[in-house]
Amino acid sequence: MNLLTTPRNDMCYCPGCSHGMVLERLAAAIGATGRRPEQVCLVSDIGCIGTADRYFECHTFHGLHGRSITYAEGIKRVRPEMTVVVLIGDGGCGIGTAHLVHAARRRAGIKVIVCNNFNFGMTGGQHSPTTPPAGHTSTTPDGAADYPFDICETVRVNGADFVARGSALDPSIGTLIGAALNAPGFALIDVWELCTAYYVPSNKLTPPRLVELSQRLNMPFGVLFDRTCGPKSLRAAEAAPAATPSHLPHDQAPPAESQAATADVVLSWPERTEICVAGSAGQHIRSAAGTIGKLAVAGGLFAAQQDDFPITVRRGHSLSNLIIATTPIEYAGLDRPGLVVLLSRDGLERLGGLAELPADCVVVAASELALPPAPARVLRFDAEPLARAVGRASVALSALAFGLVEKEWIDPAALRGAAHRWAGGEYKDADIRAVDAGTALSRGAVT
Amino acid sequence: MREFITGNQAVVRGALRAGCDYVAGYPITPASSILSDFVRAFAGELGIVVQTEDEIAAIGQCIGAAMAGARALTATSGPGLSLYSENIGLAQMGETPLVIVDCQRMGPATGGATATGDGDVIFARHVTAGGYPLPVLAATDAASAYRLTYEAFNIAERLRTPVIVLSSKDIALTRQTVDLDAISLPPRLARRAAADNGPYAPYAVDRPESSPAFAPIGGLRRVRFTGSIHDERGLLTIDRGKIERKLTHLRDKIAMNAGSLEDVDADLDGRARTLIVSYGVADGAARVAVRLLRRGGTRVSHVTLYSLWPMPVRALRDAVEPGVERIVVPELNIGLYADELRRVFPARPIESIQRYDGGLIAPRTIVDHVVRAESAKRTEAFQPC
Repeated sequence: MNLLTTPRNDMCYCPGCSHGMVLERLAAAIGATGRRPEQVCLVSDIGCIGTADRYFECHTFHGLHGRSITYAEGIKRVRPEMTVVVLIGDGGCGIGTAHLVHAARRRAGIKVIVCNNFNFGMTGGQHSPTTPPAGHTSTTPDGAADYPFDICETVRVNGADFVARGSALDPSIGTLIGAALNAPGFALIDVWELCTAYYVPSNKLTPPRLVELSQRLNMPFGVLFDRTCGPKSLRAAEAAPAATPSHLPHDQAPPAESQAATADVVLSWPERTEICVAGSAGQHIRSAAGTIGKLAVAGGLFAAQQDDFPITVRRGHSLSNLIIATTPIEYAGLDRPGLVVLLSRDGLERLGGLAELPADCVVVAASELALPPAPARVLRFDAEPLARAVGRASVALSALAFGLVEKEWIDPAALRGAAHRWAGGEYKDADIRAVDAGTALSRGAVT
Repeated sequence: MREFITGNQAVVRGALRAGCDYVAGYPITPASSILSDFVRAFAGELGIVVQTEDEIAAIGQCIGAAMAGARALTATSGPGLSLYSENIGLAQMGETPLVIVDCQRMGPATGGATATGDGDVIFARHVTAGGYPLPVLAATDAASAYRLTYEAFNIAERLRTPVIVLSSKDIALTRQTVDLDAISLPPRLARRAAADNGPYAPYAVDRPESSPAFAPIGGLRRVRFTGSIHDERGLLTIDRGKIERKLTHLRDKIAMNAGSLEDVDADLDGRARTLIVSYGVADGAARVAVRLLRRGGTRVSHVTLYSLWPMPVRALRDAVEPGVERIVVPELNIGLYADELRRVFPARPIESIQRYDGGLIAPRTIVDHVVRAESAKRTEAFQPC
């Protein structure tokens, strides 16, 4: 079935332009696949060839310059049974190079037809990434100086499954387009064309000279790569494009969370407490605050945790502000911290000293940390033996548990009970050990 | 069941509840965990998730997927929203249902990647060329991030438009206590489907404010999608009548549905002289401030804006009408929304409380401002003429 609705001479292209001929070859090649119009989507890029969608009687998508590959990939992933064809120019391959390369790497099952006429025809004949050296264009009046973009080689070395190049004026181009359509995975064909409005008159390009150009640039015509023709041992592993899950309408269930059961008892707790855990990246500051927050929520309380850290990952400060309250928390910032747990100089520096802390605040600090004067009560703990007992990653949680008990916000046995009952997730055992050790540090703990 | 989750986790849960089945994204702080959580959520082929080469590809894939029938979401931060810009226009012109989450950070450019801010509120409104409206919602906490992400899908489907949901670092990465099951949600909406037979034009609308019937790319009805100005068949047109009809429709389907898009929480005191209008990260502090003020005997009204654009003018007028003398607007930017309120309420003093260094506005700051303003007014009243 012919998808083309318009005879070549009625298309909008300039006299002598080869676009119409390529579209006829494409329509014939699609027809030869036996696919029905509703099984085909033509995604057109921008530029002269971007107008082609209107001449086709199938699903069509006309988007932004250089991005046609992205729309095509989205369509193909949702509708893997469709034949999704991209029609793009040499300009589109320039502005959208990233998409071209990465769609090839992902082996997206789209078929890319590049209509390459070495310049921007629609906007006045400016040079494009494929303009050959010394090519005259409106923006390279003295001849292009840049290295010409080898589209085929670029996608070939980046995972494409089928790559070919040919001249629009060579009748065999139809066969090459057909081969690209039938190739599994990512297929691209670079079709060299004549822009009779600009590039041809400025550069005396003729059909025979296209062949010469191919030889001069060492960009040969023909099938350049076909993964299905590789060594047999590779075929099974590589011929199938990367599996993409199909689009299945469904009622979504939320993902299973490692979540403690809802409390049937509510932990005893003061009305509202504000805690700051301050240390360095890598000390598991946020995890420590998160674990206590989770236990509090599982125990029927409300918690909010606001973190402060720089963009670096294993370097710099890490602060967690944790609020635990018996009523909902609307503002997650700290106003009047009752407990500050200090694990490193980074954390102390980020806090900007301790002078502003209220007098009834308790500061729990690693014993080796030199502290400025503080109106608050300071309690020390030995980080090294603690690290040996519970692991370095759990010191922050132990110190936090120690502080909570020292503040008398919770009874040590109740906190241990909460940890044993409600700790969960990947670090459950380590968290329980850390809380056990932290509560044992405190006075009055039952050991 | 109460849970202790971040705003980003709430976004994912809201999207799943809304039937989201296609996510493409590019990692960026503070939005990254939305993408990685979807990788886990969609394991077992419950949906498709792709980490793309850049933000342009992320939104591009989502637009293609949405037009093939998916319920798509992409999440980013301000720098990524900048890269989405051109494609948001494509989604507008092509009438693509799409949910875009912007986890804002402080300042322009890369700004402060791990610092909070609400600086994209005007950018989100006029995020693309042409000047046509799109709905913008703003979460204030994890619970509203969940609800608004769900609502955004309903709006996107109903009006066939991209919808932006604003979050911010101190919502996205802050853990809060929420009971998602206790949040009441309206029924899930789907885009109006085209009839299986009879004539079909992909962009035909019976009234300017209604949305065209949808047939997916890949379905039995052949679809033309285009970002260029087109007629109801999706064919390029130079007919001025058709052009005006299309563009009027793009305006009216948002503007004439503005009433149904209004999403606010109004806590009004008919005798208040001060109205606090808040949204985003500053809202929590505003709520606490309102409680403290009332406890201290100051009468105050408060409106939380969950929909920023179109501006919920009807709800704001209702709040302002009874005799409010000043509108106080705390926000984590240089007073952007306050400026817009000045245009709508030129006769009322709009007092802006700003913070834009990555820190939070404290409830005390808002309380002090209001108390000062109220007492200044009283002093003024006692001055002899």
